Amino acid sequence: MNGDSGNITPGNVRPENVKPENVGPTVAVGRTRAHPDRWMGVGRSAETDGAAAGRAAAGAAAIGPDPQLVLVFVAITYEPAEVLAGLREVLPGVPVVGCTTHGELGPGGPTDGTVTVAVIGGTGFAVAVRVAENVSGRQREAGEDLARAVDAVERRAHRVLMLLTDGAIRDQESILRGVYSVLGAEVPLFGGACADGWRMTGGYLMSDDRVLSDAVIAVAITSEAPLSIGVRHGWSRVGQPMIVTSAGDGRVYTLDDRPALDVYLERIEAPPRAWTDPEVFTAYTLSRPLGIQRRSGIEARNLSTEVDLVGRSIGGGGAIDHGGLTWVLTGDERSILDATDAACKDAIDGLDGAPPVGLLTFSCAALRAVLGEDGIVKEGAHVEKWADGVPFCGFYTYGEIARTRGIDGFHNQTLAVLALG
Amino acid sequence: MADGPGSLQVQQLLELLAVMSSFTDEDAAARGAAERAAQALEAEVAAVVLDGQVVAAIGFPRDAVAEQDLLAVGRRERDWLDVPGLGKSPAVTASWAGSRPGQLIVARWGYDSFSVEERSLVRGMARVLDLTLTMLRTLRVEHEMRQRSERQAAENTRLLESLHEQQRLLRHLSLIQRAIERRDPVPDVLDGIVAAALDLLGGEIVALWTRDAADSERLRLRTSAGLRGPETVSMPAGEAGAAGEALRRGEVVTVSGYAVSGTCLRDITDGHLRISMAVPVHENGQVCGALVVGSTVPGRIYTAEEAQTLRVLAQNVSLALTDAHTVRKMHQAAHDALTGLASRGLFLERLNEHLAEGRPAALLFLDLDRFKEANDEHGHIVGDEILTVTAARVTTHLRSTDLAGRYGGDEFALLLGDVEDPAEAVAVADRIIAAVGEPIFVSGRTVTVNASIGIALSGAGRTDALELIRAADAAMYQAKSAGRGRSSIHQPI
Repeated sequence: MNGDSGNITPGNVRPENVKPENVGPTVAVGRTRAHPDRWMGVGRSAETDGAAAGRAAAGAAAIGPDPQLVLVFVAITYEPAEVLAGLREVLPGVPVVGCTTHGELGPGGPTDGTVTVAVIGGTGFAVAVRVAENVSGRQREAGEDLARAVDAVERRAHRVLMLLTDGAIRDQESILRGVYSVLGAEVPLFGGACADGWRMTGGYLMSDDRVLSDAVIAVAITSEAPLSIGVRHGWSRVGQPMIVTSAGDGRVYTLDDRPALDVYLERIEAPPRAWTDPEVFTAYTLSRPLGIQRRSGIEARNLSTEVDLVGRSIGGGGAIDHGGLTWVLTGDERSILDATDAACKDAIDGLDGAPPVGLLTFSCAALRAVLGEDGIVKEGAHVEKWADGVPFCGFYTYGEIARTRGIDGFHNQTLAVLALG
Repeated sequence: MADGPGSLQVQQLLELLAVMSSFTDEDAAARGAAERAAQALEAEVAAVVLDGQVVAAIGFPRDAVAEQDLLAVGRRERDWLDVPGLGKSPAVTASWAGSRPGQLIVARWGYDSFSVEERSLVRGMARVLDLTLTMLRTLRVEHEMRQRSERQAAENTRLLESLHEQQRLLRHLSLIQRAIERRDPVPDVLDGIVAAALDLLGGEIVALWTRDAADSERLRLRTSAGLRGPETVSMPAGEAGAAGEALRRGEVVTVSGYAVSGTCLRDITDGHLRISMAVPVHENGQVCGALVVGSTVPGRIYTAEEAQTLRVLAQNVSLALTDAHTVRKMHQAAHDALTGLASRGLFLERLNEHLAEGRPAALLFLDLDRFKEANDEHGHIVGDEILTVTAARVTTHLRSTDLAGRYGGDEFALLLGDVEDPAEAVAVADRIIAAVGEPIFVSGRTVTVNASIGIALSGAGRTDALELIRAADAAMYQAKSAGRGRSSIHQPI
């Protein structure tokens, strides 16, 4: 959350791996620092057939005994049900959770158009999965229900609740508030909102053999070793604040008592076409989020995706409350890559000196617009450097979830990292 | 703007103010304030205590809220909380007094305690919460008062309507009971009750059924409104719907549609009956029928008040029927069973009453000539017929204020009220003699009897009934002696 980042020298940059065709049909990546009781493996496949890709990626990721959980991140171009069928052929009976993406993260660099799978295994881990459906309109209640996943998992010394949400659900903060109201501060939260490759037609969640929308999947993970979360962004505020004079349900209607769209576009000195063309608006504003001041820093809010050119309101990401102040934020490749390093470092440092067996890395889809193709390759390289040979896996999200301090945990424009000790 | 010392806290307080105005009840406001306070201070725990009770708490597992510890922090007995997953965490609290004293408590993991600005923010937030809760409480009390007032107004309206209903019922009952007292013809009284039921119960159908005189297992329609078909319809009691059930059970019965009904009931209600309610009616203490209301309106139900109204109307039916029964029995006791004329006892009683009032009267004593011979010759059936025809012919020549009685065998006594003129009495007697002497056609034969009439007038100081009768009787014998078929007036000695 903090805009400050550590100073990390970028690692090896492998831009050729951005394209799926460069991934190769199937790649098993990352050596595992195999602990006798805990391991994580990652596999990815660019096979065009969903079932074949699922089989190949799962086969590559299943590198140890007692697999506990299959995490799958699927490009929107695949048929999710086919991918699930392929996965379950390889790992029958192992819980599967996953979602569609705006790009998949893993060793070898970010990709578009792959099936990327992480398998977490060993008797040192235990998991329990719970699904809430028809969540819109009852976000808080769904969150309270999802928290019960923690009751169902075998107890270990450390635990985390991972949430995969449908990115189209509004007011995702309420889901987290519902979870928090039941679990309290004891259980950290981590996760992300599914994406749809910027089609804006809706992504999908996957649980075992089911493909879901308007749903949230909760995975309670317990471990005998520490589980640690890091979350950072690379934004800082510029100019004078604006007062949010009307807002609700994830939308901002007026800023400084004028239509929010007009004030926002004036402040970011948007080109004329951004005022009339939603696509131009989104492209321009993705790299210009709004920020809200918190005690320990700025929180970014992405308001680029749900513009109302007629009503002249903006919306899309996390909530900006009526009555608050908001700033235009600025960031660049350097500041964002610094934040990438800081998030990884925070997560790994939280393991109390023990090396991780794997990292889950959920990065914001909007950052791709700021970083560009080269920039995200650098981002992947930074993560890979911090992974230092252990598998890592994740996706570009429509919202990141990371609650370690305080009660809030839904973020925009961040990298959230879960280090599995 | 947000960079000065404490400006973030000012901003957070303003945000809380904006958010708190959206809450509509105290529980939501307490929870919202706790979450806002935790968010603003990046704290993991926040709680609201009201009247010594924790009413909202976040940060603890739901089933492990450390209420006693929170209350202790609220009382400033400690300044830390042991939070599951976090351990010992510094806590800060701000209190308010007033009618519902309370505290806002915030605890945050870490070694740093809260800054002066943060403590000030918690105090400000507590003040905002206190004001919000007070406002919501005031609104709730006002809302409850308004609801109570609206409920009272509705109750008053209902009572007024009920009063009007009662008044209408009383008006109807007054009319009905006056009709019964006046001994209006029973059909008129029953029609009045049916009309009252229509008006009071808003029903489309009202019917009074009583046991069929020819077959007590059937019910016959006495009077009705809103039914089709003949007015004399009858049906088996077991197929008469609510009426039959009320008769069988002896209590108020409500029947849906055509339960316990036959085709006859369906026919006379066109198949549209949705619900009916019946109350038994009594005659002389015995259940003899039922008063029924019916509706064709879907969803119609009958209330307890309506059942009571029907019960009261049915009691009046019972009253009318029982009164008529009593009158009939009394009449039977005081009248001659064969001719329907007053019995000897009734005649004497009426005559005495008339004379006691000091009013003049002419008494005519009639005896049929040769009745015994006709009786012996043609049999007593013909004899009875002669007496019946004679009674009818005699009555034809009397005014409604006059009285005819059968005094014995073939003797009749006639009281002509307020007649003082002997000639007037003689004229009546002669007309009767002429009428009685007309041939009688009975059992295929023609029979002729004559009458002899003795006349006595009260005007000669006679005030004793028996004395007047004896005088008329004596005059009758004079007439017979003079050749029968004539009248004779008694001449006082």
